[in-house]
Amino acid sequence: MIISKKVEFSASHICRSPQLSDEENRRIYGAAANPQSHGHNYVVEVAIEGEPDPVTGMILDLKRLKDLLEERVLSVYDHRLLNREVAAFENQVPTVENIAVDIWSRIEKDIDATGRARLYSVRVQETDDLAVEYRGER
Amino acid sequence: MTVYLSRRYSFTAAHRLHAPSLSDAENRAIYGKCNNPFGHGHDYQVEITVAGQVDPVTGRAVSLDELDALAWREAVEPFRYRNLNEEVPAFREAVPTTENLAAEVDRRLRNAWKDAFPGGSPRLEKIRIWETPRNICEISG
Repeated sequence: MIISKKVEFSASHICRSPQLSDEENRRIYGAAANPQSHGHNYVVEVAIEGEPDPVTGMILDLKRLKDLLEERVLSVYDHRLLNREVAAFENQVPTVENIAVDIWSRIEKDIDATGRARLYSVRVQETDDLAVEYRGER
Repeated sequence: MTVYLSRRYSFTAAHRLHAPSLSDAENRAIYGKCNNPFGHGHDYQVEITVAGQVDPVTGRAVSLDELDALAWREAVEPFRYRNLNEEVPAFREAVPTTENLAAEVDRRLRNAWKDAFPGGSPRLEKIRIWETPRNICEISG
């Protein structure tokens, strides 16, 4: 069984790789390559998989999942400039692809440690017309 | 690292649901208001999901420009502001239900995929079509 929780954060970023020329950056990222940054209201949907506890009827207390997302993700991402303030993006471009993978790595172990649940997917919606889902490598 | 990237596009079109092999009474019974002889229309949304590897330099799983160009050519432009029954060859025979529209978009994308993305990556994972916010058809794999 899969259950998911949705949370939101707002953040700014710059889609620009130091390994590429200005022209390549503009070609690949378009307006998002603006070095002055821009931002989005991100929606993160975290899905976990497991069997419900026969007594509580829950795979994982969603309040516990919410607190975990608050501590591991939102406190790090919300109202930040991702390129400068989130460690994962010191050396990689904070595209929505990389954001989904980073969020996965921030919460996977904690969710495994809860016992019944394992992380199934992390879906990050950057705009109404663009979203990325990551399901890990296992 | 494989990720699934979904990009959404929209178009508006008119159609009428009417199967010529059925009687008028049967058509009315099956399709209801959608059988109105004058047709009617929707604001459709098409979501294309690709499975790709994240490029370590760009952080991208697919070139959005290339995906957008392909989507425009195969999933939007052939249908936008058209009467699907009258102007889209696929629906001369087939009834332009959301199911058949999804099948046509899927077929067009798969035919054009290799030229747009030579080398096998990204893969076309699934498409979803919203006929209305409540009627959604999905084709995967």
